Amino acid sequence: MTTMPPAGLLLTVSLTDAHTVCVGIEGDLDYDSSQQLLDETREQLSRHPGTRQLRLDCSRLGTCDSMGLATLLAVHRATGAAGVRLHLDGRPASLERVLRLTGTLDHLTDPQAGAGSVLTEEPRPLVRPDRQDTP
Amino acid sequence: MSATPTHSAPTHPTPFGEAELRGTTEKLWEAVSRGDEYAAYGVVLGAQGAGADDESLLLDVIGTVQRKVGEEWAANRMSVATEHMATAVNDRVIAALAARHAPAAAKDLPEHDTGQDRPGRITVACVDGEWHALPARLLAEVLRLRGWHVDYLGAQVPTPHLIGHVRRTGPDVVALSSSLATRLPAAHAAITACRSVGVPVLVGGAAFGDDGRYAGLLGADAWAPDGRAAAELLAGSPLKPPLTGHQSVDDLPHLVDQEYTMVRRDSGRLVKAALAGLEDRFPAMRSYTGLQRQHTAEDLGHILDFLAAALYMDCEQIFTRFLIWTAGILTVRGVPAASLTPTLDVLGTELKEFPRAGRLINHAREALNDSTLPTPRSGSGVLR
Amino acid sequence: MKRSALRLAPYPVLVADTHGVVRFLNDTASALLPHARPGADVTRAVPGWLASAHQNLSAVPVGSPTGPGSAEPEPSVSPAVRGEIGERSFEAHPTCEVTGEVVWWLVDDTDHLLAREALRMERERTAFLGDASNALLSSLNLARCTAMTARLAAGHLADAALVIEPPVGRGLVMVSCTRDGEPVRRQVGVGPDLVPGLPEALQGFPPVPARWIDPAAAPAWIVPEGFGTVGSIVVTPLPGHGVSAGALVLLRGAGQAPFTENEEVFARLFAARAGAALSAARLYEEQSSITETLMRELLPPVLHDVSGVEFAGAYRPAADSERVGGDFYDVHPAPADSEGQESLVILGDVCGKGLEAAVLTGKIRNTLHALLPMADDHQRVLSLLNGALLNSHHTRFATLVLASAVRHAGSVRLRLTSAGHPAPLIVRGDGQVEEVGTHGTLVGALPEAPAVTVEATLAPGESCVLFSDGITEARGGPLGDDQYGDDRLRSALSECAGMPAAAVVEHIQMLASQWVRGGRHDDMAVVAITAPRNNHLSAVGGRGPGRFTA
Repeated sequence: MTTMPPAGLLLTVSLTDAHTVCVGIEGDLDYDSSQQLLDETREQLSRHPGTRQLRLDCSRLGTCDSMGLATLLAVHRATGAAGVRLHLDGRPASLERVLRLTGTLDHLTDPQAGAGSVLTEEPRPLVRPDRQDTP
Repeated sequence: MSATPTHSAPTHPTPFGEAELRGTTEKLWEAVSRGDEYAAYGVVLGAQGAGADDESLLLDVIGTVQRKVGEEWAANRMSVATEHMATAVNDRVIAALAARHAPAAAKDLPEHDTGQDRPGRITVACVDGEWHALPARLLAEVLRLRGWHVDYLGAQVPTPHLIGHVRRTGPDVVALSSSLATRLPAAHAAITACRSVGVPVLVGGAAFGDDGRYAGLLGADAWAPDGRAAAELLAGSPLKPPLTGHQSVDDLPHLVDQEYTMVRRDSGRLVKAALAGLEDRFPAMRSYTGLQRQHTAEDLGHILDFLAAALYMDCEQIFTRFLIWTAGILTVRGVPAASLTPTLDVLGTELKEFPRAGRLINHAREALNDSTLPTPRSGSGVLR
Repeated sequence: MKRSALRLAPYPVLVADTHGVVRFLNDTASALLPHARPGADVTRAVPGWLASAHQNLSAVPVGSPTGPGSAEPEPSVSPAVRGEIGERSFEAHPTCEVTGEVVWWLVDDTDHLLAREALRMERERTAFLGDASNALLSSLNLARCTAMTARLAAGHLADAALVIEPPVGRGLVMVSCTRDGEPVRRQVGVGPDLVPGLPEALQGFPPVPARWIDPAAAPAWIVPEGFGTVGSIVVTPLPGHGVSAGALVLLRGAGQAPFTENEEVFARLFAARAGAALSAARLYEEQSSITETLMRELLPPVLHDVSGVEFAGAYRPAADSERVGGDFYDVHPAPADSEGQESLVILGDVCGKGLEAAVLTGKIRNTLHALLPMADDHQRVLSLLNGALLNSHHTRFATLVLASAVRHAGSVRLRLTSAGHPAPLIVRGDGQVEEVGTHGTLVGALPEAPAVTVEATLAPGESCVLFSDGITEARGGPLGDDQYGDDRLRSALSECAGMPAAAVVEHIQMLASQWVRGGRHDDMAVVAITAPRNNHLSAVGGRGPGRFTA
């Protein structure tokens, strides 16, 4: 188990089994801190090539701004490229709200999504709503 | 240079006298208070067509109407939203007037104009946090009419923007406007910054006191009570570039006690403490709705803002006047203004380590007790 | 005192008696005072100041006889006097002998005085250089700094000064100033070649010290108007940071002493400071002009009314020192001649902040501009934008709202699409605030960006408000740490029924800014689309005279 010391964001890494890396996120994912999460994820994925699952424990996540969300999307890309499944565990309501608003909830939590690079990924079947639709 | 270029149409030689201006003002007030933009254009452009000169329309008609908007708001007869609507209408009327005037020569000026025939270049701006831009806008338009090269930066200009602009354009003078005393610290920062880059500053607006007494304390080079006076002052001998090497701490030596800084920083905590203290004294407050509680918190926030401003300037008037005014507003709303005294008691207890704040609070408390306020119609709430 | 001792004294020594007759002088004194010899009258032998000092001293009996039996009378010393002999300054120390004769010891203090004078000048100059540096460095405005250089130089170094700017193109631009005069900017259509030393000074190479010019040979333009006859001219380079910051020309009138070597050195010290300040001001001006040019594209536009629909927008970047940031908005007006065509409004937010984010907003705004012909299909616009922004290096994304607006029979018809952005709010005539039911996916990070487009209609006096989350997520309030939030935004908007677009925008922007109370906040952007309350077909957009039709 390793502990990152910096100010705003505290990341706690643990290995629950041979194929699973857990990262506990405590604090805010924002402009100043979020790069740290991406660096840590890449570090862990290269250090443990046998990883099948990356679990981000968000239960102690504070705010997640747009840079935080961009970082989660980048983490998702990194895990997808490595054939690792990403789980966002213990999502607080505020995170859930941001993911829903930006239409990224399914992408980040759908087990099918995220395999392979985003630019080579097969397009998923999409419901393309007619523009005349009214709710 | 004092000759005002008027803009009367040659086809309407009839003089547009004071009576006509008063009539126009009344009609504009009608239109503006209804938010009827198009009627407002009709009134002002119609008067212009009938021979009214632009400067009178700006200062005597639009300026007067805008002062009345401010008075109506201060007397609680106009909501903030309606005030904005009225101001927006006035603002667009000014734009329409300016668009009609738009002298071709004024548009094609080179960036560094050294022509001796023009009065000079001036930057007109509101200090940071100041939203009442109309007086500054009126001054800007009047100075344009008088031939100045005007850069009008609008409402709430952060000081770094202002200084960046001053450095880029090198004006002969900066005119700063502020209406609320709570903006005086921001005004001080802006004045100091302009003067430190060698540009003299003219200030105006209600924030600087009826007689401009705060202008000098903050190091301003000149003060004017209204737009016309400002234009006349600028038309006189040019303001001298300030001497450099001035330290703004010398303006207000009392700031060394840090009371302003502490009250400003602790404002949120003090509001919470005051809310809790008031609940102890007025159990009825515990049943307040979220909205009522929020409004009370906002009132307390304003009280602390003015306390901070009074500490900054070391001036009892700023705080006491605001409380007397608040008491009047509360009375109009049917709230017992007597609740202000316990509020001051709570703040006094919280700030007992701060001698200057204590003096300000005592002064305000005595003034509140002395002032004869009409009794409220009903009285269950506190502050609201 | 023994004459032989006096003869050997290291100072000029002169002895005169009570009758004012020189009794003795040593060789050094003879060399100094050619008219003095024993027997001569003091008034003829020595300068007046010394002669009268001697007479004053002799008038008072000193070293007077003391009482009988006392020891030998003592010679006494009187206070020294000072004066000039030839070109040098002397202190004359008198010793009164018991005989009544006075021995004058002459001590040359010229160098001492010079050193004191030099020290005083040095102090004055240091103070001046300090003041000059303060004055010059206070303004990063080039024109102001140049004028200040000319004014300071004319006031302290010469009778008039000329600051010649490094040439750009043909001709020379200069600011001249006479003592107590005002700096005047002039341009002459000639090159610097006619003035010796000026080309080198303006090029900054090869390095040249100050250069004297024969006033008779100097071109007329170098002399400020009304200056009179020139006595001397010196040209000094103004060294900048690695390049020349121009040249300083100092002029003195015919009646004035020419520049001494010392003054030249001093002028060079001043020129070094002025040059550094001018160079910094020039650099700042160049940088800020580049920034200004680049920034112009990134600044939010000023919105106008278009074809009977009011548009207004306001923007406050996160950092007070910046003017751009991650929020953006645009209104692409329908072509003027096309009745019934929609205008496209865009308000968005890219992740990140400051200039870096602003550059991405610039890219998005350009792309959307290019996609305008497809604006009748918001989904298609978003898909193409998404494709253009996708990037394998990062996941920087944008959220935005597209709004197409057209006036139709007094109302305004809207099509609204949110791509992962907070949904627009509509303020109805009765103050009700409705959230528009559009939702969709952000653009620029995922392979697809599906979104739902919704239609709405604004009756006269109703507004549709687009905003960034910097408004709702602004932290502050009287308690210091509350979010402004959706509820406060809605209740503020409910007061905006029937208001012009500009007033709606200002109201919201003001409330949110007051909420943060000068604290940290994100970028905040608001745009209002409003159906005018009155049925005037032509509104004043402030775009020129004559648009108003009463």
